[in-house]
Amino acid sequence: MKINRRNFLKTTVFTSLYFAGFGVNSFANSSKKKNLVVIMLRGGMDGLCAMPIKGDEGFEKLRSKINLDKTLPLTTDFDLHPALDDFKRLWDQNLASAVHATSIPYTGRSHFDGQNLMESGGRIPYEIKTGWLGRGMKLANLTGEGLALSLPMPLLIRGVPMNDNYYPVKGIIPKTEIIDIINDAYKEYGEDHLSTTLEIIKKREFKSYSSRENHSLAMNAGEKLSKANGPRVAVFEVDGFDTHAAQGSTNGAHADCLREFDNILKGLKQTMDKEAFNNTLIVTLTEFGRTIKQNSSNGTEHGYGTAVLMAGGLVKKAQVYSDWPGLKRKEMFEGRDLNSTIDARSIYASAMSTVFELDFKRIQKDVFWGEDLQNLSDKLFKTV
Amino acid sequence: MKSFFRKVGFGLGPNEEIPSDPLNWALNQLDEVPELSWQGKIYSEKELRKYYRDWVYGDREKLRIKYKNDKTLYRLKKDQLRHDTGQKFWESLEISIRHNEAINGTHPVLTKLWYFWGNHFAISEKDFLANYSTGPYHRETIRANLNQTFEKLVYDATVSWAMIHHLDNSESAGEKSKTAREEWRRRKKRPASINENHARELLELHTVSPKAGYTQDDVIQLAYIMTGWQQKWSKSLLETGNVWFNHEYHQPGKKIVLGTEYKSGKKGLAAVIKDLVNHPNCRDFIATKLCRYLITDEPTKAMKEPIIKAFKKSDGFLPEVHKAAIKVAFDYNDKFRKFQTPENWFVQVAKISDLEWPIDPKVMDEYKLGFEPSKQRRLPEQLLRELGHHPYRAKQPNGWSDNSEDWLSPELLIRRLVYGNRSYAYSKTKNNNVEFYEKIVSKNFDNPEKILRYINKKDQLYDKQTLLFNHPEFLKA
Repeated sequence: MKINRRNFLKTTVFTSLYFAGFGVNSFANSSKKKNLVVIMLRGGMDGLCAMPIKGDEGFEKLRSKINLDKTLPLTTDFDLHPALDDFKRLWDQNLASAVHATSIPYTGRSHFDGQNLMESGGRIPYEIKTGWLGRGMKLANLTGEGLALSLPMPLLIRGVPMNDNYYPVKGIIPKTEIIDIINDAYKEYGEDHLSTTLEIIKKREFKSYSSRENHSLAMNAGEKLSKANGPRVAVFEVDGFDTHAAQGSTNGAHADCLREFDNILKGLKQTMDKEAFNNTLIVTLTEFGRTIKQNSSNGTEHGYGTAVLMAGGLVKKAQVYSDWPGLKRKEMFEGRDLNSTIDARSIYASAMSTVFELDFKRIQKDVFWGEDLQNLSDKLFKTV
Repeated sequence: MKSFFRKVGFGLGPNEEIPSDPLNWALNQLDEVPELSWQGKIYSEKELRKYYRDWVYGDREKLRIKYKNDKTLYRLKKDQLRHDTGQKFWESLEISIRHNEAINGTHPVLTKLWYFWGNHFAISEKDFLANYSTGPYHRETIRANLNQTFEKLVYDATVSWAMIHHLDNSESAGEKSKTAREEWRRRKKRPASINENHARELLELHTVSPKAGYTQDDVIQLAYIMTGWQQKWSKSLLETGNVWFNHEYHQPGKKIVLGTEYKSGKKGLAAVIKDLVNHPNCRDFIATKLCRYLITDEPTKAMKEPIIKAFKKSDGFLPEVHKAAIKVAFDYNDKFRKFQTPENWFVQVAKISDLEWPIDPKVMDEYKLGFEPSKQRRLPEQLLRELGHHPYRAKQPNGWSDNSEDWLSPELLIRRLVYGNRSYAYSKTKNNNVEFYEKIVSKNFDNPEKILRYINKKDQLYDKQTLLFNHPEFLKA
């Protein structure tokens, strides 16, 4: 193993010379519409499956049944899961990067508490009724500029009014005059939430791509995000990362989920025009990583540290940014998990600061209650 | 007052009398669990598990091997096997039985609580559970226990085949168990280790909730107690064998959960469940959830109190717990209106407007294995998916949310509009007249004139149908 803690903040990028100069600072322009896309990976994404450490014998031993037999080359220290080939294509153009050994500050190992906290951004499950993204949008006055690609409205984006969602129905929506009669009744009964929701429904225009596959949802969202008057924030969900059994290696349950995430990147890239993609930042979010050691069902248990994958033109450069904690037993969290050395909320606060063009300190204070977060904007993103 | 019939039930059908004493009408439905009122054939969990077996065995042990070099033929044969084992049929049959109980059964209040407990002990979407097993689990494990104690319900749900499969407990093996020392584990590099999944959910979702303040160590210790509870594996049944206690997987030695010590062995599970259901946080958790389901997103202490008391006094005897909850719902009926979840909403639409719903049992019984089920026969399952609220297909083991906000998004509201309208397609010809709407409105609303003025803004009956079932008074109960 080549890396040690603290000397590892920037690992070598194989392709960085080849693409040197591509796009550096050329998109930064505060008058441009910038977009933030958050992809929630539910169930606990295994950062060490998506981006395994290289040449760590201890690690390989602990995962003898689920080690990847084929990987894509990334840096001197990390490989990439082969299911992430669109991510790799973006990486090769300096349009994708990652933070490794990071997590939200939650160590309780419950999906439901963890997912609640990854969305609320808080520390006590179910305490906060809004999402960090929704609060950030509110701070940036982004009313009516959020789009969730799911049937319910995720907690993550709550906290700012008039968000839209898209998950095509198989059927015909009643005529406007019917909707208006219903809306009058909502208003009469003081049902404001229902009423504003109906207003949104009346205003929407969506192409009816019939599929609800994430790839097709991403194509739809990509078109909207490219429009000057379209949404500035989009939220996706990928389920199924909770692979207690048959996690698999190159192929398998975890690989399928990673591929679905990759398909979102693909769909966005396919439909967004170049300028819009260059002014977009895509980040992942998960409740926790998974244990380093495989269990007897060739799966992994709920863990702690994981990776955050990022893409889009606002990514600073292809890099795996990390303060690597090591994988020796005493370096692990509770002797079993990859540790987290970076509060993932620092990444999200920095991302919002970059995309919403808000002072980091304001986000820290108003969105994250003044918690101790680092401003990583300069290190991870293209700032003006 | 009439909203109470929807709050704790599914409203009144056009031919039902309006009960003169609503509270007693509701309370009288909670002592017994009557036979299901579905007139068609009902299959046992074990019978349906045989089909599950034929599916996994046939696919894994036969087709994949036989057609390993021919993907197209493999796919074809696999689809045939799906139909041979009823994979796309049972789920709709089960939903029909479930909805029939709400619409045509004699105990709708009990049925509304059945839906609640099915969701509390949710089997979320995993493998082929929804296709073959979750429906019968809801009937035989959940519903059949509604006149028993909560303790028995927890135990039966915990050792049910569906839950054991759902939460991976068969995979859990104590590091010091007999199986841990087996030669094949060394050879195959598969050392025995526990799987915490089921233990964690037993604490978090089914009994005491995280408020009890248990630690990771408590979870591990409970997982040790649970080691050995697994599907009896065999070459012919694979994972579809009955649940049993396999001593060879059990972690020996005593275990400590929340400060209490438990002996090694099969009886440990019953002992720990007994203590968990008697934990004060468990009573509080159940009371909170019942109030949230029936009354409001934010239950108050005063609402929970009588339920907690009844739970304690009766040792968690469910009819008593239910009666207390229904009484509280009655007391708060005028002050709090609860936004109805999509499935409850649709069943109310079907009952009140006397739809051809569920599908005729004869039609379901005429289905022949080996054929692709007709669109009509698959409708129940597909409709619930489309509404975004399929009781056998929650995304995660915590089931579907009972918080109103989780059901308010443009797309979810679009479903109410679309299905308010489309439900008219299932209406009976004899009901296609204005008088019918007058009748059902006066039966289910305290202010029929006002509601009728609202739906009479449109002349077409299908528009009236859409308007009525999207009225704010109807969305809430």
